[in-house]
Amino acid sequence: MNRSLALVLSGALVLSLAACSGPSPELGKEKSVVCQSCHGVDGNSTDPQFPRLAGQYEDYLARALTDYRSGQRRNPIMSGFAAGLSDADIANLAAYFARQKNGVYDKW
Amino acid sequence: MQTLLRSIALVLALGYVATAHSAGDPAAGARKNGMCQGCHGIPGYRHVYPDYRVPRLGGQHAQYIVNALQEYKSKARSNTTMQAIAADLSDQDMQDLAAYYSAKPAKAAVAPAGGTKP
Repeated sequence: MNRSLALVLSGALVLSLAACSGPSPELGKEKSVVCQSCHGVDGNSTDPQFPRLAGQYEDYLARALTDYRSGQRRNPIMSGFAAGLSDADIANLAAYFARQKNGVYDKW
Repeated sequence: MQTLLRSIALVLALGYVATAHSAGDPAAGARKNGMCQGCHGIPGYRHVYPDYRVPRLGGQHAQYIVNALQEYKSKARSNTTMQAIAADLSDQDMQDLAAYYSAKPAKAAVAPAGGTKP
C-alpha cells in the first residue's frame, strides 16, 4: 500500500516537473524555421528592415509575439505568423532567439 | 554640351548632399539619446505594465530603429511612452539615434545573451 502510494506520488512528481520545465530553446529552434527567411538562421537578420532577434531579452521577444498575435501590435507579415502560435510556442521561440550570439547588446 | 555636363554634375552633387544629410550621424545620436537612456540605458530595465524588459538596442539594424520610431510617431505602433518621445523627433533625429545605437560593439564589450534574467 505504501509502496503503490509512493509510486503514484513519484509518477505525479515526474509529470509535474515535465510540465513545469519552462521554455525550451530546442523546441523553439524547431519552430523557428519559418522565421529564418527574414530574421536569419540565428536571429541575426541581414536585411536591415527586419530586426535582429539574437541576444534580445527573452521576455521582450515573447511580448512582441503575444502582441502580434492579439493584434495589439500590427504588421501584415508578423500577424500572419503569430496567429498560429500557442503560448508554449511563443515561450520556446523567445528562449531560442534570446540565446543566440552576436546579436543585440545593452548600449547607453 | 558644356552646360549639360554642368547640369549633370550639379544634379549629382545635390544628390550627394541630400544623401549625406539623410544618413545618420552616430555622434549626433549620442548627444540626442538623453530621453532614451532612462529606460534603454539601464540593462534589464523593466516596462511596468505589462511587465517585460525594454528591448536592447545596441547593434540593432538602423533601418529597423528608424521604422519603429516612425511607427511610434504616427501612432501605428502602440506604446504611450514611445509615442510621446517619438512625437518630438525629426527624421534627422531618428537617423542619428539609429546610427548611434546600430553600431557594433567595441570588442569584448558584448553583453551576454539575453536568455537569463538579471
